[in-house]
Parts: sequence; C-alpha cells; structure tokens
Amino acid sequence: MLNEEKIRIMTGIAMFEKKAGRDILPASRYFKSDYVGGRMIRSFIFYTFSSMLCLALWVLYQMEDIMSTMDVTALLASAKHVALFYAAGLLVYLAVTYWIYSRRYERASKGMKIYQAKLRRLEKKYEAPSVQGENEEERRV
Amino acid sequence: MMGLLVFKEKLKQLYGKYNRYMIPAVKFLLGASSFFLISSNVGFMARLKNPLVPVVMGLVAAVVPCGVTAFFAGCFLIAHVSQVSLEAALIIAVFMLVVMMLYYGFRPGDGYLLLLTPMMFFLRVPYVIPLFVGLSGSLVSIVPVSCGVCIYYIMMYLKQNAGVLAGSTMSEMAERFIVIVQSLFGNQLMWVMAAAFAAGVLVVFLIRNLSVDYSWSIAIIAGVITQLVVIFIGDFYFNLPVAIGPMILGILVSVVLALVYQFFVFAVDYTRTEYLQYQDDDYYYYVKAVPKITVSQPDVKVHRISSRKSSRHEKSN
Repeated sequence: MLNEEKIRIMTGIAMFEKKAGRDILPASRYFKSDYVGGRMIRSFIFYTFSSMLCLALWVLYQMEDIMSTMDVTALLASAKHVALFYAAGLLVYLAVTYWIYSRRYERASKGMKIYQAKLRRLEKKYEAPSVQGENEEERRV
Repeated sequence: MMGLLVFKEKLKQLYGKYNRYMIPAVKFLLGASSFFLISSNVGFMARLKNPLVPVVMGLVAAVVPCGVTAFFAGCFLIAHVSQVSLEAALIIAVFMLVVMMLYYGFRPGDGYLLLLTPMMFFLRVPYVIPLFVGLSGSLVSIVPVSCGVCIYYIMMYLKQNAGVLAGSTMSEMAERFIVIVQSLFGNQLMWVMAAAFAAGVLVVFLIRNLSVDYSWSIAIIAGVITQLVVIFIGDFYFNLPVAIGPMILGILVSVVLALVYQFFVFAVDYTRTEYLQYQDDDYYYYVKAVPKITVSQPDVKVHRISSRKSSRHEKSN
C-alpha cells in the first residue's frame, strides 16, 4: 500500500536535489579551502588563457608599429605595462572568484544540512514499520 | 482591473497545467528567432542560409540550456562572418571565448540575455532589457546585457560593411585587421548604449529593492530616465547618430512592457500595508507587510432546471 508521508518526503528530496543539487553536491565533497582553492586555480587558468588571446589580438593590431620600429627598450616598456595590467586584473578576478565560491560553499553547507535532515526523516519512516514488526514477533514468542 | 486579475489567474492555471510544453516552446521560439535574425542580417554563407536551419536549431534549443544555445548561435555567427572576413571572425571568436571563460565560468545561468538583448534591438525595443533585468535579475547580469549590446553592433557593422570587407583591396592582413578592430571597438554608439544599459540595470535594481511604496513603478521610470540621460550625454559629447523619434517610441513601448511584467510578477496593494513592530531576545523588528492582490477565478456552473420535470413532480406529490 502507498505511504503518502513517504512519497511526500521523497518528492521533497527529489525536488531539492533537482534545484540545489548542482551546487550542493560538488561542494559537499570538499573542505572549504580545497573547494575554493580548486575554483581559484581554474579561474587563474581561464584568466591567463583569456589574457593570452587578448594579447595575441593586441600584437596583431600593433604588428606594423612593432615591425617598423623594432625598438627593444620600447618593447620592454610595453611588456612591463602588459604584465602590470595582467597582474592587476588577475588579482581582482581571483578576489571575485574567492568571494563568489566562498558564499556558494557556505550556502551549500546550509543546504546540505537541510538535505541530510530530510534523508534522516525518510530513513526513520523506513525504520518505523520494521521496528513494529520485530516487536510483534517478540510478543508472539 | 478585476478582469485583468482574473485573466492573470487563468494564465497561471494554464501555465501550471502545461508548463512541461510551454518552457520548451518558449526556448524553441527564442532559439529559432535568434538563428533566423543572424541568417537574415549577416547570412553570408549560402549553405547555412537554408530556412530549415533556424527551425532545426530551434528544436535543438528547446532541449538544451540557453547558454548552450548562445554558444551555438555564436558559432553560427562566426561561420557566416568567416565567409566575408576571417579577421572579423577571429575577433568575434576571441570575444566569445573570453566572455565564456571569464563570466560563464561562474555558471550564472543568464545565457538567454546574450540572445535576448540583440533580439530586442532588432524589434526596436531594446530599452526594455535593463528594466526586466533590474526588476528580476541580479547586478552581475550587467555583463551579458553589455555583451549583447556589443554583439548587436558587431552584427550591424558586418551587415553594413560586408561588401567592403569581402571585396577589399587591402592586401595586407594586418592592415585589414587594424581597420576592423578600429571600426568594431571604436564605435562610440556601442559603448554609450552599453553604458546606458548598465546604468539602467543598476538604477532599476537599487530602487526596486528600496522599502518605499510603488518601488517597482518608480524603478521603471527611473531606469528609463537614466538610460535617456546617458544616451543624451553620449550624444552631446560624441555627436552620435541617434534617431530621437524611434528612440522615444521604443522607450514608451518598453515602459508599457515593463509595467505589464510588473502586473504579472509583483501585483501588491499598498493601500492595505501593515506596519508591525515586535522583538525577541536579540532584535527589534520593524516589519512592513504589503498584501498581494489575489482573486479567485470565478467558478461558474450552470444548473438547468427543467420546468416540465418540476411540474410533473408536483403532480405526483
């Protein structure tokens, strides 16, 4: 026979998994430092790759000037500027990444507690009939 | 007003009943119209200009997330543009990759704005986007909205200069590249519109979160005024080619659309506002409770009472 209470809890768990599971489950596998650190490494790679692409476009744009002058001191000065911009941008981007993923981890930890509470409720519902059955057997003996 | 509220309730019921079909249908329309607009404006590749392509891509868009559709649309655009100018295609590809990695790496879930913003430009009501985003989105959505503005102006540049780019006599690739970069990123109108949209989103977002009566309506009006002010300042400084008539018309239509959106999403009755004050061990609470306007759908049942039957019953009694 259908147990409506169980169905209600299971539906709630399934909906929770569908809505929040995408963020909660990956975060629950790691400590906060590992989770945020991993995301920051990924951000570093993405940022560096994006910067390289933009640099390639800039070099193509400046190609004529670079080829015509071939001034080493001017090139070194430009390289310094590029490195400065890259470092400043990287710092800002990593700070944003840290802020976003720290908040997501904290939200995920709260969500995980709710998720576990729901699972415990469901577990109790499964345990309840078996405990009742054991008690009845003891009485018969 | 009552009729509109009843209509809203009916729509809600309809959505509740058929949302399984409605969401893919909306995604299909968004995807198909995006691919159609790309084909009709910058459709340089004959093979991809087939009218079936938008339909097929719309069907694909119906089952994949909006971010993936935006990615496909970007690839579609690059394929078309590569027929005219490899340099322009390269610039668009780099632009796309940078946005995907730096912004969509965070999985913000607002990829549809990349499609919707250029589409609203083509429909002549782009000013509605900052209003919608400010009312229902978050501040970070400024990024996809601004990117959407850039995509529209890049498409417009390519559409207007396709002949020049394709039949260009500039033999040197670097020379062509410099001209395209200067034209694409030196477009002052594009930057002014992106700034106007960003300012619009910011103002609408900040005002609608204020605890004042009619905050959503005030936010809509303030958002529109902000956009107008930024565009006029840009026009004053850079002498931009902005047509005043269509812009005013577009803004009026955008305000109407935003007010309709407000009616469906945030219908409250400020005349019945309750101000409550209480405390617990840690805090004092000053609560403002604004009731939602809700009506129950009239349940009309027609009972037919036959006069013959009743007269028979009377006789038998």
